[in-house]
Parts: sequence; structure tokens; C-alpha cells
Amino acid sequence: MISVLAWLVLGLPLLGCVILSLWPGEPDRRITRVIGVGFPAAAFVLTAIIFVTLLGRDAEDRLEIATLWNWVQSDGLSIDLALQIDPLSVLMMLVVTGVGSLIVLYSTEYMEHDRDYRRFFAEMGFFLFAMLLLVEAANFFFLIVGWGLVGLASYLLIGYYYDRPSAVAAAKKAFVVNVIGDIGMVIAAFILVRELGTLDYGEVFATAPEGLGAETGVATAVALLLFVGAAAKSAQIPLHTWLPDAMEGPTPVSALIHAATMVTAGVYMIVRCNVLYELAPYAGDLVAIVGAATLLMAATIALVQVDIKRVLAWSTVSQIGYMIMGAGLGAYDSSMFHFLTHAFFKALLFLAVGIAIHALAGEQSLDRMGGLRRHLRLTHAAVLVGCLSIAGIPPFSGFFSKDEILATALDAGTLGTVLAIVGLVGAGLTAFYMFRLFFRAFWGPEPEGGYAHAPHNPGMAMSAPVAVLAVLAAVGGLLQIPGVWHPLKDWLEPTLLADPGLEATTGGELIVSIVSVALAIVAIGLAYWIFVADPERRLRLAGAATGTRALLTDQYRFDEVYEEALIQPGRDLGDTLTNGVERYGVQGTMEGVVRGVIDTGRGLRVVQSGLVRGYVFAMVAGVVAVGVIFSLVMR
Amino acid sequence: MGERIVFTIAAASALSFGTLVVTLKEPFRATVALIGTLLSVAVLFLLLAAPFVAAIQVIVYAGAIVVLFLFVIAYLGERPIVEIGDRLGRYQAFAWLAVIGLAIQGFVVLATTQLPGVRDDPKQVGDIGSPEAIGRSFIDDYIVAFEATSLALLVAAVGAVMLAKRAVKSEGGR
Amino acid sequence: MSLASLAPLVDAAAVGDPQEGVPLALYLAVSGGLFLLGLLGVLTRRNPLLLFLAVELLLNSANLALVGFSRYWNVTDGHVFALVVMVVAAAEVVIGLGLVVAVFRQRLALDVDQMSSMKG
Repeated sequence: MISVLAWLVLGLPLLGCVILSLWPGEPDRRITRVIGVGFPAAAFVLTAIIFVTLLGRDAEDRLEIATLWNWVQSDGLSIDLALQIDPLSVLMMLVVTGVGSLIVLYSTEYMEHDRDYRRFFAEMGFFLFAMLLLVEAANFFFLIVGWGLVGLASYLLIGYYYDRPSAVAAAKKAFVVNVIGDIGMVIAAFILVRELGTLDYGEVFATAPEGLGAETGVATAVALLLFVGAAAKSAQIPLHTWLPDAMEGPTPVSALIHAATMVTAGVYMIVRCNVLYELAPYAGDLVAIVGAATLLMAATIALVQVDIKRVLAWSTVSQIGYMIMGAGLGAYDSSMFHFLTHAFFKALLFLAVGIAIHALAGEQSLDRMGGLRRHLRLTHAAVLVGCLSIAGIPPFSGFFSKDEILATALDAGTLGTVLAIVGLVGAGLTAFYMFRLFFRAFWGPEPEGGYAHAPHNPGMAMSAPVAVLAVLAAVGGLLQIPGVWHPLKDWLEPTLLADPGLEATTGGELIVSIVSVALAIVAIGLAYWIFVADPERRLRLAGAATGTRALLTDQYRFDEVYEEALIQPGRDLGDTLTNGVERYGVQGTMEGVVRGVIDTGRGLRVVQSGLVRGYVFAMVAGVVAVGVIFSLVMR
Repeated sequence: MGERIVFTIAAASALSFGTLVVTLKEPFRATVALIGTLLSVAVLFLLLAAPFVAAIQVIVYAGAIVVLFLFVIAYLGERPIVEIGDRLGRYQAFAWLAVIGLAIQGFVVLATTQLPGVRDDPKQVGDIGSPEAIGRSFIDDYIVAFEATSLALLVAAVGAVMLAKRAVKSEGGR
Repeated sequence: MSLASLAPLVDAAAVGDPQEGVPLALYLAVSGGLFLLGLLGVLTRRNPLLLFLAVELLLNSANLALVGFSRYWNVTDGHVFALVVMVVAAAEVVIGLGLVVAVFRQRLALDVDQMSSMKG
């Protein structure tokens, strides 16, 4: 039964997409809404049924493989079209369908003014299908297929406003960077096939310790190549440049894809492949370092961003850095816990901020916002919940998950301790920039001249999902209270075949908790002092450290470096090939051949003079020649 | 002995008349020179024990074909057909070169060929040139060539009629 | 293939002993001479009528060679072929002169060099 349900969960969003796509003409909005929201919601219900069914079983019995048929059967490689239902995939499925359904419901009102209503929901359905394929896949082959399809969905949705050149450029950028990740994953798959002869999860993880060996170059290579894919998809250094630009897409897209689900696919994959990462500790360490570096860098950039969505985007990059760091160190369940809470509060933040943007008719700059709490009460409360959560203030969810990662990191040797300190610094920065956003948008005076039209409160379709997510963000942290109960960890245990068993000590937990909360409170106070207490202070302080500020505003100039080192040479090469090789080489050769043929013809035409005597002379000449030859040959 | 004398005269005559054919400017005179050539060649045929062929040569060639030439020349009238300066003068030079070359070649071949008996006095021959022999040869061995030749004549006749018809039309006739 | 191997054929061809007469080579020389004269005429003449006369010379030279060899091999085949050649010459003259007349009627110049509409 679970197999059937699993296929249904996968297929329903796709079916919705297909129906909407093939509908002749633009369907009535109500139909679009019913299909666009109903199918994902049904998928969530079915996922919940699967979840409950699995809960009813013993912990060891929670693995099901649903195979449709044998896709590839060749000498040495067999790939099935199969789904794997186990605790990890079910967790992902719940988040994807659940948060996805809420966001799609929200979009029914958010996208009201858009004329391509149907296209939006069709593309969202396609994304849900692709993401579900990614998390439900039972082998690396379909993982990569889902990986690629999710990249495509992201391209379609980022470039949703296709008549905006900036949106189109952002979509292309996202796709190209993701392709780099795809290459890494595919090469890793090749190595797996060559070394282990299979791509099936179960077989790979069973044979990897012997087939790849521990701490060998091959194992490290596989782990690192897979991480290339994760880094691209989850926007880690140096493949992170696409995520801030992806904010060109509509806000629900940012919420679903670039906060809650797609960008976390990298974390999911690392956790799924925990066996491989435990076989390659150096790779794991590198992963953790990259995660920590990204975490810190993104937090610094978020300090100075003026576009409200961009702040959230960099915040996403930073939070995923936490997850990646945790996964790299071996704290898999902590990472997944933070993934869960992050999905809640980040989606909440995006949707709530979306309400504000929607109410202000598309205004996204913090410079032109202020005092919104007087107009948008629910939104104000929701954003406050989200900010408290992400800042790590108890009892909100972010506190529990973030601190669990940091505390577990302390147990992971010297590197873990160093990275935990980095994480704490990042936590402080996080609190500061999030409350900067909060205070500047919702508190303080209104921007000069007031608002063009009074910001209106949203309808039910937008408010309800926000409220639900706010509740989840508030209480979701109670899933894992250190030392008391850890149901999530128990739930995930069957899938963490190579859990190194890092445990946060009570002492460590206490230290981390106290330090992080203290930092957060200090940061919030600082933000209050700068942005609220004296409205002019911000402008006075803005003049200081202009050099650093410029660097941060420019996002450490990654884009510029890439442009110069990679893109411009590419363009130059293209120019050379077009002007040089193409024009003279290819076209020149073609024209040369044609001209040669024509000239030869013209030259030979001279023979056809039409004069009888000329022809006779030619014949006689021939006869003479033949005669000479004969007389020489025939003696 | 007598044969040799006749041959010499006939050969010289043939070659002289031939030279006249290619050098005389007026068509009428050239045609008359051609008659001389044809008759000389007919004599040579007789010397080669080909009486029938010689007869046909005189009757058909000199009798019909040359007459046809004369008719056309008469029809074309007195319009002066002057050969103006040759535009393709270089053809003259090459023509002379080719001819001289071939002449040398031919001479060498005839002088050195190893085909037995070419330069010796001829042997006696049987009856090869009588009408009976030729008739038998046509019917027994070359019947296809015979019929094909008559077909070719038919084609030529039809073609001539067609050309004449158009010619009549272009002059205002029906 | 050596020409000397043809000797038995030649011996069988003749009936009696060699008589005093004109060797084949001389007949061939006359034939060749006529041929060369005709060739000169064809290459040199511009009036189509005179061109045809030269062509007749060529055909005659061929006939002479045919009949000469026919006597050499003691067969009738050469005579037969010579008659066929004569028929062909007749046909060709008919058509050729018809063309000349047609050109004349069009009031075009009777100049072979100017009849170059087959120019490609």
C-alpha cells in the first residue's frame, strides 16, 4: 500500500501540472486554484498517511522500496525506476508537500494580478514533482534526474517574469551554476558505477566500505564530487552567486524553492550519503569548513543589503551553511532538524515579507519602508516570530535546532570546536541583520511622503498559511529538547547507517545555549539602538567604514571575479571563433569551394567555343597524341 | 610494269587534285577539282581489283554527290563568298603542325612496320571485287549493316525534306 | 602481340606467288596523303561548302585504305565497308547541304566561325 501511495504522492503534482498545461486556452481561475492547490494538498495528505503508517511499525521495519520496472538493464549496470520510502525521505516529503501546499495556497491570492496565472501553478506543480522525485528516488540515477529537473523548474520559476531582462539573466545564471553541480554529481555517479557496479542506494551503501575503501582517494573523490553538486544546489561558496539573483522570481517561489526545499537538497543528499562521507573524513571536513565559511560570509553580506528579499536570500545561504557544516562534521540529525525548523521560519519570513511587498504594490527596498506595524498587524507578528526564531531566542524553534548543531559540533574534535565558534559569531550576526530588517520595515517612522496607497491587509488565502507557519516556527523546536527527548533523531536513525555518534554533552549544550542567547540579545539591542532609538543614528553610522561597507554591498565581488576570470574569456573565445574561425575558416572554406567550382566551370567554358574548327583541331590533336602513344607501344 | 605506271599517274593526279580542292577559293572550281580526285581514286580502286567499288565511286560519288554540290552552289548564286582575314590565325599554324607531324609519323610507320608483306609486291588474289562476291558478302555476313545503312539513308531523306519544308516556309511558301 | 605472328595469315591469304606490282604501303601512303590534305582543308576553310569538300576527301582516303587492305587480306569485307562509307557520305552531304541552304536563307553569313550558337 505504501508503494502505491508513494507513486501517487509523486504523480499528483505532475498530473496537476500536465492538466493545467494542456488545458485549452486560459482556464477559469477557480479551476486553476483547485488543481494548483488541490493536487499538492492531496499529496500532503497521502504523505501524512504514509508517515502514520510507518510510525505504526517498528523502527527497523520502516524501509520500503517501490519499484515500477527495470529501467536500464545492461551488462554491469541495472537501474530500476524505484522509489525509496524510509524515514529520511518521508521527512523530506512531508516538508515538501506540506510547506509546498501552504505556499501554493498563499500564491492563489498573491499572484492574483498576474495574467499568466495558470502557468505559475503548472510550473509550481512541476517543481513539486521534481523535488519529490529527488527525495523519493531509490538510486543515484533518479536522484540526478530529479536534481536536473529541479534545476529546470527553478529556471522556469526564476524567469517567470520573462519580459524583465534581469529576471531572465538571473534564471540563466541559476541554471548554469547548477549545471556545474550536475557535472560533479554525474562524475561521482560514474565513479560509483565503475567501482561498485551499481547506483542503487542500498547496494551502494552496503558495498561502499569495501568497494571504495576507507580514507582512499576514490572515496574522497566521490564525496567531494557529490559535494560539488550540493554546493551548487545549496548555494555554498563558491557556487552561491545565483541565489541572491534568484529573488527576481515571485515571492512564493523564493519561499518554496529558495528557502524551504530546493536549496536544501544538497543537505538531504549529504545526509543520505552519510556512509560515503564517513568513508572520507577529509571530504567531510572540507564540507564543514565550506559550510562555516559560507555561513559567516553570507551573514556579513546580509548586514548591508537594502532589498528586503535579498536580506532573506543571504540569510538562507547562511542558514544552509549551518546545515552543511553540521552534515560535514557528522551531526546528521541535527542538520535535518535545522532543515525542518528553517523550512518553517524561512518560509514564514518570505511569505510574511511577501504580504508587505504585496501591500506596498511591489516595493522591496528597506529605504522606502517603515512603520508597517501600524498597518499590517498580523504580518508584523508573523515576522517577529520568524526573526526571533532565526535569531535563536528560546522557546522558538531556531534556538533548539541551531544550538544543537553547534553543541554537537563541539564533540567533533578541534575542527568542530573552531567551527562551532564561527557558528556562534554567525548567530550573533544573524540576530543583528534580521532585526535590522524587522525594525527598519515595521518600526520607526514611515518613509518620507508616506505610502502611496495605504497598505492593505491580505485576505484569508495569504493570511492562513502565514499563521500556520508562524505556529510551526514557534513550537517546532520542541521536537528535540536536548537531554529530554529526541524523537527526530530516533526517527532518522535507521537511515543514518554510518552515524559517528556525536553527542552533545550537557555541558556543551549549556555553554552554547547561554553564549548564543546572550549574543542574540546583545545583537537585538544593538539593532534597536541603531535603528529605532534614534532614527538619525543609522545614517550617521553609515558613513563609517565605507570601504568594508562597499565590499559587503558588492557581495565580496564574487560576480565580478567570475565575470573577469571565466565569463569574459568565454565571450572573447566566442568572438574569436565567430569572427575568425567561422568567418574565415568555415564560411571561407565553403565559399572558397563554391567559388573554386564556379571558376573552374568558367575556365572550362572556354573550350566550348561553338567553333567547329576549334573542335576539329582538338580532335586532331587527340589523334596525334594517340598515334604517338600507339607507335611507341606497338613495336 | 604497266601497273606501276598507271599507279604513279593516278596517285599523283589524286594528290594534285586534292591539293586543289583545299586551296581553291571558289566553290565551283573546288568542286570540279573534287571530281578529278574522285576519278583518280576510282582508277586506284580498279588497280586494287575492286571493279564494283570503282563503278559505284564514279556513279554515286562523282555522279550524285558532286552534282548535289553543284546544284547548291548554283542555288546560292553569285554572292561573293570571300574568306576574310582569318580571325583564328593560330589555327592555321597548329593545322600545319599537326599535319606535318602526322605526315612524319605516317611515314615512319609505313617504313618500319613489321606487318609482313606490306612493303613487298602484292600476291595474287581471288575474286573479291566482283558484284557477285560483294553481294554474297552483304547477304551472308553483313545483312545487318546493309539494313542499317538503308535506314540511315531513309533518315537522311526525311531530314532533308524537313529542312526543305522549313526553308520553303521561311521564303513565304506553304 | 607481334606483327610477325600475322605472317601465316598473310601467306594463306594469297593465291599465288608475288607478282610485280605496287606494294600495299604505297597505297596506304596515298591514302594518308589524301587524309592529310582533307585535314588541312577542314582546319583551314571557313566556307562551309568548301569544308564539306574537304570532308569528302577524308572519306575517300578512308575508302582507299579499306580497299587496299581488303586486297591484302584477300577478303571482300573491305569493299563492303567502303560501300557503306559511301552511303554515309551521301547521307551526310544531304543533310549538310540542307543546313547550308537553311543558313543561307536566313541571310546569315556562310562562315563556319560565325555559326557558333552552340557556344557553351
